Amino acid sequence: MSDRAVQDDVIRALADAPYRASAAWRCRALADPERVERFARFLARHFYYERIVHFFKYSRALARVTGRRPEAVLRQPGFDALLPAVVLGSRASARAVCRLVVDHVRASDPAVPYQDDLLRYEEAMMVVEAGPRVWPETVTGTSPEVVAGTALLELDYDLPQVLGRLLQSWTSPPEAPRQRTTVLVARSRHGRVAVARADGVVASVVQLADGTRTMDDLARAAGLRPGELEATLQGLTEIGAVRFSTGS
Amino acid sequence: MAPLMVGAFYNPHLGAELAAATGIDHLAMADPPAPQDPHWPAIKERYTLLLHDYLGQLSEPLDERAIQRARSLAALYDTPWVAEHFQCLHTEDGTYNLNYVFPPLYTEEFLARFVANANALQARLDQPLVMENIPGFFDVQASQMPEPVWLRRFFEATGTGFLLDLPHVWLEAHYRAMAPESWLAEFPLEHVVELHVAGVEEDGDLRGPWIAPTAPSDEMLAFMAHAVAKCPRAKAVTFDAFSPSLTADVLVGSVERIRSAL
Repeated sequence: MSDRAVQDDVIRALADAPYRASAAWRCRALADPERVERFARFLARHFYYERIVHFFKYSRALARVTGRRPEAVLRQPGFDALLPAVVLGSRASARAVCRLVVDHVRASDPAVPYQDDLLRYEEAMMVVEAGPRVWPETVTGTSPEVVAGTALLELDYDLPQVLGRLLQSWTSPPEAPRQRTTVLVARSRHGRVAVARADGVVASVVQLADGTRTMDDLARAAGLRPGELEATLQGLTEIGAVRFSTGS
Repeated sequence: MAPLMVGAFYNPHLGAELAAATGIDHLAMADPPAPQDPHWPAIKERYTLLLHDYLGQLSEPLDERAIQRARSLAALYDTPWVAEHFQCLHTEDGTYNLNYVFPPLYTEEFLARFVANANALQARLDQPLVMENIPGFFDVQASQMPEPVWLRRFFEATGTGFLLDLPHVWLEAHYRAMAPESWLAEFPLEHVVELHVAGVEEDGDLRGPWIAPTAPSDEMLAFMAHAVAKCPRAKAVTFDAFSPSLTADVLVGSVERIRSAL
């Protein structure tokens, strides 16, 4: 085993709590298990602090009126209870941490009417950012496929109109127009999360692009001309929502 | 020895205070400026800026995209040197990422990797490369030599500069139950170009001290004065705190106290 592979094993043990508890790791006896456990817990709290502060920044801005800071969950028993199962960067762990945040921040009498939409939006951003960073380069394939984790969100309020203002100075929370809005949340292979408004064309392509339909099949199913489909797919590929599968 | 520059990290939420502050010679840049940062033009105009971003881990070669990003940031800041860390925080296949600085194994294989990849990066930069030490909270049995020996061999093989993070040395000494001055004496201080100084606080998970965005203690400042006297090529001391929770009082006050202690 190369030294690089040993280092990978140490990194995995720090990131992956079930692996850290396994006989496969423990029998290697590479480091003091108690020190490794303490450092892993420190890393987990740091890892999710960074993500909660970033992805729940709008709820954080609203903490002036809600009194609920999203990152407070990291010091609550619910987070400690997750630690034995946490895998840093996994979508399941991101989802579990988001549930804690949403339950903590959501109020029965919210300070803003769009709070539920906002929390769903922030949760989607954080969950989409998680998951494997690497997938095969299959751009030569011919079957468009939605990248795992990409999310279409149906909102009751036009959140994109209010997000920027939430981060500026305000005396009372800015209002969002009550208007059905669809947004697409996706992540590039370099980990950048992007959000775009989605019209009916985008929504139907995202719902139909399952990696089995050819471009012609997809155009027929979505009721689009080839040029329209190509333009839509180009935009979706750029933000990381769609890749091209070889169909294998 | 020329007078040392004394500075801090650019914390964008303190942009207004930093744009008007006095007594700060330089700012280290951990992130690129946000496009809408209203204080960036004044910051860029006023300060010497040091590139201290995450460029990549040198256990692997940096790809062309990362190199071009480093070159672009170095040009934007007009930085006198480019900093990176002795870190290996994600697996080679990218599956696991600690998202926090973590040291490599101190082995011959990793030494060869870091030397080759640092030399390759240095060859593509127009500024000198400096490398920062990273603390280990536990020893890994697979390491083949002490960290200071590994670092000395790295600097001798590459000619790069040493960014000596003093709290990292202090923490390692603490967890080894050693005097910080004794552990520091093992390090190749003749290669030091820049020093980092910061505060430490108790951490509940580690059940001991760790780096925190807080003011350095008197003990840490005395340790800094001791270290600086042993670093003949040092050019700068930086208050190493970069956090949304950092206040302007702590930042400016810490820089003042560092300057007074030198």
